Amino acid sequence: MQNLGFIIAGYGVILGGMLLYAVLLLRRLSAARRASLEIRRQADTATPPSDPPA
Amino acid sequence: MTGLRADAAIALAIARKDALAELRGRQIAGSTLFFATLVLLLFGFALGPDARRLAEAAPGLLWLAIVFGSLLVVARLHQQEAEDDALEVLVRYPVERHAIYLGKLLAGIGAVGVLGAVLLPVVGILYGIPLLPAWPALVATLVLGTIGLAAVGTFYAGVTVRMQAREVMLPLLMLPIVAPLLLACVKATAAAVSGNPLGDLAAWVQLLVVFDVVMVVAGAATYGHLLEE
Amino acid sequence: MATRVLGVVALIAVVAASLNALFGVPADVNQGDAQRIMYVHVPSAWLGYLSFGVTALAGIGYLWKRDLRLDAVAVAGAEIGVMFTAFAIWGGMMWGRPVWGVFWQWEDPRLTTTALLLALYLGYLLFRRLTDEPHRRATRAAVVGIIAAVDIPIVHFSVEWWRGLHQGPTIGSPDKVLHPSAPGLFVLALVSMVIAFTLAWGWLMLRRYQLARIEWQMEEHGRLGRLSAARRAAQAAAMPPPDGAAEGV
Repeated sequence: MQNLGFIIAGYGVILGGMLLYAVLLLRRLSAARRASLEIRRQADTATPPSDPPA
Repeated sequence: MTGLRADAAIALAIARKDALAELRGRQIAGSTLFFATLVLLLFGFALGPDARRLAEAAPGLLWLAIVFGSLLVVARLHQQEAEDDALEVLVRYPVERHAIYLGKLLAGIGAVGVLGAVLLPVVGILYGIPLLPAWPALVATLVLGTIGLAAVGTFYAGVTVRMQAREVMLPLLMLPIVAPLLLACVKATAAAVSGNPLGDLAAWVQLLVVFDVVMVVAGAATYGHLLEE
Repeated sequence: MATRVLGVVALIAVVAASLNALFGVPADVNQGDAQRIMYVHVPSAWLGYLSFGVTALAGIGYLWKRDLRLDAVAVAGAEIGVMFTAFAIWGGMMWGRPVWGVFWQWEDPRLTTTALLLALYLGYLLFRRLTDEPHRRATRAAVVGIIAAVDIPIVHFSVEWWRGLHQGPTIGSPDKVLHPSAPGLFVLALVSMVIAFTLAWGWLMLRRYQLARIEWQMEEHGRLGRLSAARRAAQAAAMPPPDGAAEGV
């Protein structure tokens, strides 16, 4: 193949970039889901704030 | 009074208020003019003392200086309004939102127009290009470019006025939008000073007209959404 | 579940179409193997434009319905559109160097338009990050997105004239290279690549949308938490001070 360097650079950055974005997106998503579950669990178990002591 | 006339009256009142505030010592014009002239001087240093190269680059430098200056102008016009919560008061008036936009636009046109009207002869002197033979085309370009810059600038100044990073965000948002305007103004100015040898002046002026109409309409239509918060 | 299936299908499709584009199709007669870059460049450009179109429509929809789900669609479109637009520019540069002899061709209206497009939507994304309060952010992002969208055709025409009025058309832009009259194999390779990329795009959009929804819920929760904390603090402050501390008025 001629211009192999340019083809590798073109395909590598575009396909690799898409894959990298997808992996990062999945990780962001699972982190966000975990955090949101955590918050919900806390909200369920927490007792409503009592009146501050006079 | 018809709706249109009422809007025009409101817009004029807002623009008049801004003009009065400027005349009573807000000092936007002075500092911006100084800044833009300084930019033109520095462009001259950056390009070296070759008179021909400077004359060739002059239309582009002129319009870059006007664009940079207009960033400052529109930001200041909205900044003054946002300080002391004057914008909040303005929004509570029972007037059409697009009338407020048109008022700020008129003020912006006035300010950017003054900037351009001063910078044009400065460029003519500094870079040695003949302005007088082509003055009708130059004035038309200046007017159309001013309207477009003020339309986009007023809109984005409204978008960013309450943001913390507005000094950065306003140019970041506005500069890519005004790129076609810059291109058209530079080309029209260059065509005008060189006597329109390619006959393309009219095409660029048309593009400017389209840009102005689209941006004024889009700005007037959406500006209201920025205010109701 | 359906999203997961879409993801697997998209992955297989992209791999298969890429292998075909790299090794299956013969090299172009005029441009040689460099033309293979077009098979990733063209789908990237198409998806960039599609994403920004989605963002603009979602913005208009938000201003109409005031539904934050539409804002989540808008942010997904902007982020993924920026990625694909950057890919398109990168692919164009990698193609342009061997074929045109330069990475950057100022006379190509498409390239310069796309570069401005990238700048417009990078600004949009940055703008979103610097604005809090979901509805305010959604409103402003929507109007910024609409203005950006109406600017795109003007940018395109201005750059086209810029080239066309001064220098004659010197260099063919990518679409002339992929002329419909090209042999069927080339067209097939390109179409399969466009379909594969579009499937991947759909999966990315869905996932990015889900992320935006969760982030918004958490933001909302955080604000409610801060609000109740502030209320508690205010209640505590409203309590009478312990011993006559009302002196320094």
